[in-house]
Amino acid sequence: MSYAIELNNVSKIYQGKKAVDNLTLKVEKGTVIALLGPNGAGKTTTISMILGLKQPTTGTIKLLGGSPKDIKVRNRIGAMLQEVSVIDNLKVAETIELFRNYYSNPLSLQELLRISGLEKEKDKMAASLSGGQQRRLGFALAAAGDPDIIFLDEPTVGMDVTSRQMFWDTIRSMADKGRTVVLTTHYLEEADSLADRIVVINQGKVVADGSPSQIKAETTGRVISFTAGAAVTSEQLRALPGVIDVEWNGRRVKLHSRDTDRLIMTLIEQRIDMKDIEIQSGGLEDAFQAIVHSTN
Amino acid sequence: MSQSTSMKATFAQCKAELLRTVRNRRFVIFSFIMPVVFYFIFTNTVGDNVQVGNVDWKSYYLMSMTVYGVVGASLTSYAQRLSRERSQGWLSLLKITPLPSWSYVLSKVLSQAVINLAIIIVMFLVGGIFKDVNLSASTWITCGLFIFIGGFSFMGLGTLIGSIKNADFVQVLSMICYMGLSILGGLWFPTDTMSSTMKTIAHLTPTYRLGQGAWDAIAGVSINWTGVGILAAYVVVFLAISSYIMKKQEAV
Repeated sequence: MSYAIELNNVSKIYQGKKAVDNLTLKVEKGTVIALLGPNGAGKTTTISMILGLKQPTTGTIKLLGGSPKDIKVRNRIGAMLQEVSVIDNLKVAETIELFRNYYSNPLSLQELLRISGLEKEKDKMAASLSGGQQRRLGFALAAAGDPDIIFLDEPTVGMDVTSRQMFWDTIRSMADKGRTVVLTTHYLEEADSLADRIVVINQGKVVADGSPSQIKAETTGRVISFTAGAAVTSEQLRALPGVIDVEWNGRRVKLHSRDTDRLIMTLIEQRIDMKDIEIQSGGLEDAFQAIVHSTN
Repeated sequence: MSQSTSMKATFAQCKAELLRTVRNRRFVIFSFIMPVVFYFIFTNTVGDNVQVGNVDWKSYYLMSMTVYGVVGASLTSYAQRLSRERSQGWLSLLKITPLPSWSYVLSKVLSQAVINLAIIIVMFLVGGIFKDVNLSASTWITCGLFIFIGGFSFMGLGTLIGSIKNADFVQVLSMICYMGLSILGGLWFPTDTMSSTMKTIAHLTPTYRLGQGAWDAIAGVSINWTGVGILAAYVVVFLAISSYIMKKQEAV
């Protein structure tokens, strides 16, 4: 079985600090995989190494069975990176045309304008586009070569709701055509609605890996939140049995627990000063929070 | 990657470079408008036929301003384009496309060649048509070729300045280098009007050495190989330092 992407024991050390810590990850062809994690978790570093823009300190990486530096491999991938602004003094259609010319089997200009929703803007200077439109242009460039694998690093940052919806539809249709899609995001909704597989990364390590429903099931991730009285302290709450984590927002407290039924009894028995009590069952958001907190 | 795709990509890259350059207002101002305007102002105030060395001021100054335009194209627009490509992530994006790196470099050189040639032709046409600068065909060609080929040394300097990632700093630095080297090298005022100390400094600048080839050609003096050597040495130094800087930036 050949994988689209294969990372074996990959680590990246920056100035003595491990940004990516012994990561092993195999992605099958045709998967939509979301790398999820808080800022600084190592998602972008991982993508940069897969793309050959950064060298792993140790470990090996294979992209489509070869090296990301091989031009034949590059002809079959596309990427939308963060912190790339548009090229100056070129129009939208000219920029897309330029990229089309790099690849041996590009999509047509019309098709690229359509999937990025930039048909009306094709004769505008790329630099005059709004932030969201510039991201969409970035997507058109990533898709220019009709890639087998497309990498999208935080693709919908700065996009409005309609753009985002349209964008998701495009990703789904790429997946339907059997393309492999790798996206990093910190929008859980995005990962939940697009991905067949979610890999949660924290502090450079994989802390959870599975389908969205598996991730949700793994962590029962329930939360009790309430407004705490002045005498309640973090230490006091942490000491309670079954409390995984305590989060404060002003006097509002969130207690993460696997068994909220027992915890609420305990809270009442101990006569903790509480108001406006809510008990939430875990969505992906809570599962994610629970995973990240438990690994911090 | 097939040969034809690489050629197609190189061609598209050249076309994009040229479009970006002619749309850059700074390029049009410093490489066309300023040299032409300066040429008219200083030939009118000094007098077309005043002798500098053994040549007419209008011919001498035409070469000065042509060099000035060519230097400006490399230092202002090329260096800044390069710096912006590096600082704004374009180079990273290009690295993951199948565009070979030789094709990227080749298209930079080719498009700069087209731009320099255009500046030379426009300036020579302005001098020939509006000021009756009268040179033999072989002199026109010698002057043009010298400036054209020698002009690549400023592409080296532009590459060096453009390897700095801070685009605002590059803008200031390239302007200082451009104006400083043009004045010191005698492109604005001939070195004959300078003090002997200034003249010694002028003779070390690449701008003077680029102008010298053309000035000597119109004066009928044979080519100064020391000058050519100095110009070539600059190319080597500029390219060596800039490739060192770029390698260092990449070693992450």
